[in-house]
Amino acid sequence: MATDGRIDVLVIGAGASGAAVAWRLAGAGIGVVCLEQGDWVDARAYPHWRADWELHRHTDWSAEPNVRRLPQDYPVNDQASVISPLMYNAVGGSTIHWSAHFPRFRPSDFRVKSLDGVADDWPIDYAMLEPYFDLNDRTMGVAGITGDPAYPPKSPRQTPPIPLDTLGLTIAGGFERLGWHWWPSDSAILTRDYDGRRACVNCGPCDLGCPIGAKASTDITYWPKALAAGARLVTRARVREITLGPDGRADGVIYYDREGRERAQKARAVVLAANGIGTPRLLLNSRSARFPDGLANRSGLVGRNLMFHPYAMARGVFERPLGGHRGPIGCSIISQEFYETDLSRGFVRGYSFQVARGLSPIASANGGSVGDRVPWGREHRRAYGERFDRTITVAIIGEDLPEPDNRVDLDPALTDGHGIPAPRVSYRLSENSRRMLDHGIARAREVLHAAGAREVAANPLLRAGGWHLMGTARMGRDPATSVVDAEGRCHDVPNLYIVDGSVMVTSAGVNPTSTIQAVALHVADGMIRRRS
Amino acid sequence: MTPERLEAKRDLLISVLDTLIPADEEFPESGALALDHVLAIAGASAEAGSLLARALEAIEAAAAGGEARGFAGSSVTQREELLRRVERSHPAAFEALVRHTYDGFYSHPATIARLGLEPGPVQPRGHRIEPAALPDLARVAARGPIFRRA
Ligand SMILES: Cc1cc2nc3c(=O)[nH]c(=O)nc-3n(C[C@H](O)[C@H](O)[C@H](O)COP(=O)(O)OP(=O)(O)OC[C@H]3O[C@@H](n4cnc5c(N)ncnc54)[C@H](O)[C@@H]3O)c2cc1C
Ligand code: SF4
Repeated sequence: MATDGRIDVLVIGAGASGAAVAWRLAGAGIGVVCLEQGDWVDARAYPHWRADWELHRHTDWSAEPNVRRLPQDYPVNDQASVISPLMYNAVGGSTIHWSAHFPRFRPSDFRVKSLDGVADDWPIDYAMLEPYFDLNDRTMGVAGITGDPAYPPKSPRQTPPIPLDTLGLTIAGGFERLGWHWWPSDSAILTRDYDGRRACVNCGPCDLGCPIGAKASTDITYWPKALAAGARLVTRARVREITLGPDGRADGVIYYDREGRERAQKARAVVLAANGIGTPRLLLNSRSARFPDGLANRSGLVGRNLMFHPYAMARGVFERPLGGHRGPIGCSIISQEFYETDLSRGFVRGYSFQVARGLSPIASANGGSVGDRVPWGREHRRAYGERFDRTITVAIIGEDLPEPDNRVDLDPALTDGHGIPAPRVSYRLSENSRRMLDHGIARAREVLHAAGAREVAANPLLRAGGWHLMGTARMGRDPATSVVDAEGRCHDVPNLYIVDGSVMVTSAGVNPTSTIQAVALHVADGMIRRRS
Repeated sequence: MTPERLEAKRDLLISVLDTLIPADEEFPESGALALDHVLAIAGASAEAGSLLARALEAIEAAAAGGEARGFAGSSVTQREELLRRVERSHPAAFEALVRHTYDGFYSHPATIARLGLEPGPVQPRGHRIEPAALPDLARVAARGPIFRRA
């Protein structure tokens, strides 16, 4: 087997967290190589340049690897899960597909046990992460407006907020009428040119990627800077396992290169950034006499406590056109009226409302995230006409509490294109989450009606909603109850680090990527400090 | 059934598509606009092709068992009734037929134009959003911190 010379740090995965960590380490003069199973996405390859762009959402540009089935994807057995995991495998990782809704976790999210007696506290807190939130905001570029009372004061946003347009103004009216909290979303999408990148032209389908670089996918934010600082990125390099030296420390990886050849890469430290499913998969695939149950898994917690954020969707139909095809699909308004715990609601912890833009023509016919297809036949025209460009969808993002039985393990039969065992996901919705989502649907109906909706339909649980992959190698102080320490170091293997969504102790009730990246930068600074 | 055989049943397919999405005065285009897409899908994916073929065969069989005039010659009410029977007897195949019909119809430039949108790629043109002032956030901000300090 060809063996590459020993390097300082090997990063596995070039997505949201891997890019951030590689940039930070390279900037400190540390030799970094990143192995990424996917490729660079060519800006000309995005479907937005084609007239039939919307057809690609459910085929080659689907966010579901099991639908896409590209050579760089690996299959995920999700039969035992009520939610399907979504991801993208490329330079930029899942930020190629993400909607770039960019809220931070809130201070109470790091103190769940102390405040509410459930789950666990994080060994780090909001104040520790704040400088990293700011640094990450500057690198990604955030559109927004300060002053949101749902957060401690934030540094100035890089560009003004995404325009609310008719749709946003309509639903904002509903929140105003009810006296509820709402705020223009922080979005990692530029509304002005910034840092050599172009402003958004409001074309709509950011969930299929952004061909002009207005949306902050890490292939166009962190990676150019990381490469300029000396990091090396090897694409179409799929890591099979992490190897151990005789001293019990990680000494590199075995991977398959672009030609399918098996290679070894030696490294002084290894950083896992393969996401909340890819990381436990890799650890469980890295068995040895020292770690028969998977690498760094003496706690038995690798793969356990998978959190997705269960999503429920409520969609109101309005009398007038709302222009919902204009503007970034997932970014408009956030409401955190029901975020903090209030036990009188019948559940612990809380949720956010994320207001999305309208449905595109095909999605309108097929019911979008609510899934209620417009009837065919003589009723079709009227029903479609009443719906198209007249809907507002409110997503309810519930905090998902960690539960050991919600997990990732290895499928006994399924493998990827290289014969590497594929992950299997088991996930059930808890009673607490069910009550939370039901509360959210009822409140979303209220706000939609207050905004003028004449009817509201709901999806109690979105199956194709596994956008956020968290918790499967949790952070903590105690090696018996966590996989990594407060600085992302595996308790069992001190030169093996984890920086992706796996380390999240709890999931909060907001999209996680801003926090995932802040944690990654915090871990990188710990590595730099220890080295010096 | 191969795409070629589906192609051979073109006339039946067209009248099925037109029954799924009939034309009306305001919107003269009908489901037949989806024909090329449905045939292309049947050619591109064996799985989709066989589902679509099954749906069409079931429709054909049901039509043969009833009216001598066949599907195309039946009244709209009869055609809809027949399709509803097939929807119940072959749910997966029928679901695929409706999905691909909607996909083809609502991605067709003629439909997009009729919906009031500009057909063609969304890049590089994007969409213009008229500038408007943000609503006053003073009421929300005046609530003071609504997060728990931890
Ligand atoms: C459609 C969609 C919409 C989303 N919208 C939002 C949003 O609005 N806001 C938000 O906060 N979050 C959103 N997310 C989630 C967000 O994208 C993720 O939270 C974030 O990308 C996770 O970062 P990560 O570094 O943990 O993993 P990823 O970004 O997924 O990166 C992991 C990388 O590791 C690589 N990899 C995995 N295994 C191997 C291996 N064995 N060898 C080599 N490489 C490997 C993968 O190819 C991938 O590139 C969305 C996600 C999707 C799919
Ligand atoms: S709406 Fe803006 S951010 Fe989204 S894909 Fe289009 S140009 Fe990019």
